[in-house]
Amino acid sequence: MIGAVPTQIEALAGRRLRLPAAEHRRLRRRARLRRELTAWLFLGPMFVFFVVFLVVPIFGTLWWSTRSGGITSGTTDVGLANFGRLPDLVGATVAIQNTFAFALLSVPLILVGALAIALVLARVGRGASTYRFLVYFPVLVPGVVAALIWLFLTNADFGLFNEVLRAFGQPPVTWLGSDTALPVLAVLDVWRNVGYWAIFFVAAIIGLPQELYQAAELDGASGPARFRYLTLPLLRRILLFAVVVATIWGLQVFDTALVLTNGGPGTATTTIVFRVWQYVFGSNDKVGIAAAISLVLIVAILSLTIVQLRLLRSRRGGD
Amino acid sequence: MRAGGGRGTAEMRSVAEADLRARNRRRRLGGIARHVFLALVTFLLVAPFYYVVLASLKNSTEIFTYPPKLLPIPIFTGNYEKLIFHTGFPRWMLNTMFVAGTVTLVKVFIDSMAGYALAKLELTGKRAIFLLMLTLLMVPLGALIVPLWSLTSTLGITNTYLALILPPLANPLGVFLMRQFILGLPSDLVNAGRLDGLSEFAIYRQIILPLIKPGLVVLAVIIFTDQFMSFVWPLIATTSDDLQVLTVGVAALRAHGGANYGLWSAAAVMSLVPIGIFFFALQRQFLARSLAGALKQ
Repeated sequence: MIGAVPTQIEALAGRRLRLPAAEHRRLRRRARLRRELTAWLFLGPMFVFFVVFLVVPIFGTLWWSTRSGGITSGTTDVGLANFGRLPDLVGATVAIQNTFAFALLSVPLILVGALAIALVLARVGRGASTYRFLVYFPVLVPGVVAALIWLFLTNADFGLFNEVLRAFGQPPVTWLGSDTALPVLAVLDVWRNVGYWAIFFVAAIIGLPQELYQAAELDGASGPARFRYLTLPLLRRILLFAVVVATIWGLQVFDTALVLTNGGPGTATTTIVFRVWQYVFGSNDKVGIAAAISLVLIVAILSLTIVQLRLLRSRRGGD
Repeated sequence: MRAGGGRGTAEMRSVAEADLRARNRRRRLGGIARHVFLALVTFLLVAPFYYVVLASLKNSTEIFTYPPKLLPIPIFTGNYEKLIFHTGFPRWMLNTMFVAGTVTLVKVFIDSMAGYALAKLELTGKRAIFLLMLTLLMVPLGALIVPLWSLTSTLGITNTYLALILPPLANPLGVFLMRQFILGLPSDLVNAGRLDGLSEFAIYRQIILPLIKPGLVVLAVIIFTDQFMSFVWPLIATTSDDLQVLTVGVAALRAHGGANYGLWSAAAVMSLVPIGIFFFALQRQFLARSLAGALKQ
């Protein structure tokens, strides 16, 4: 009989291995504790750095935002007064405005450009790897170096931009003037980041289901129609993701503004991080304000991240 | 294939062939248009590099002459000599390599361990830890200048390599990538290791690490390039000249000592040499950076 064999084994095992219930529980608890401890040994090193240098500083920013004074000279508690002062402090509000204006200018240009490049790049066979290499190269340029390069492009006397204008018989332009500096900074960011998102989109486009495109072609859908009714809807989540992440990166702009224009002319390219840096190390009574505007940045980034996480979760739910 | 017979089929076939030819021609034209478009885009993206390389090989009067010479003949190497022998450039480069290399090494190690714990080990609150890391993933060091500076000065490590190395270790991106990679491995492998009496560390070292090697390389590339490009924190963490990393040194070159376009262009070109070589050698991993790094800080 088939059923008899397991029964015998169970009987055997029961006789040999049965422990008192309390003893059994104790052993199980101990084994579990050991496994937990092992897991923490693995997670621990990274987790300590994560808590000390990321979680604690975020709360630290909260604490500093209630202080008044300098970072080295000692501070006093002023409660929420810094936030009350913020709207009247032109230097701070201008920085916040510039940062958001910068993101609003650069992010759409980056993503539209990247999508255009990706749509073409995804359909190229020969030479694709060369194009990818060249398109991606500016991504690897540190912001400081990129700004240095753009000093050569935007220089009023011998810069490449004005040389080109001159070749077409146009008058030279002051590229880093107070009206143009922020847009130029945004275009610099496009130059640096368009390749990153182009490569990102290429992977997404190649992953789209080909059957849909074949069906659309059979139905006589034109290229633009396929883009409008297939590619865009299929890429919706990917695009939303890119908008959020590119905006988060855009809000952090600092190094290019420092090297290309030093925040100027005037305050035309003074961004949040730039201002924080100035307030902390260039003045001895504004560390609280610096923390308060850092907090604006942190809150903006965290809200965008949470939007992002909800999007990802709804994708998981929808599949 | 079925043999075609009768006039109707032959006509149909010739119509089909004409249609095919037309479609092929359209396809070829489309192919050419695509190459023209991409050539134009890459030209726009790459032209600035050529302009700067060109300037770096000219002396200061040639840089300002109009119309500009499109080939640097005779080649002028003075800018590079000045950069290498009369500025701290070699030291900055060494510092960057040392800091970025150390951060990469440590990070690959601790991130893969943490990723293993979150993927395969029993851990109360695993989900909460994961969500916390995910939420704080995008918070940059630049937003934490004030508390980080006071933290490092409390720890007494301002103006040391430790101040440059420790804070970047907090970034949780690598943990996600590693967790993702390790989740893809069958748990049976881990269990088999346990049955064979391997310790958890031996399982990690002898089973997990060899299997996720490609992921480790991608992670190393991501961390190294981010570190190579990072600026805000190194700027703030150090004031001593000996500790300046490449980006900080180059920014100082621009800020102090008046306009020197020749020197600046040489600095820009030389800064890009190491990362350019890495990129050329590890192209696939770098491009994977764009994909995995959808989560990058």
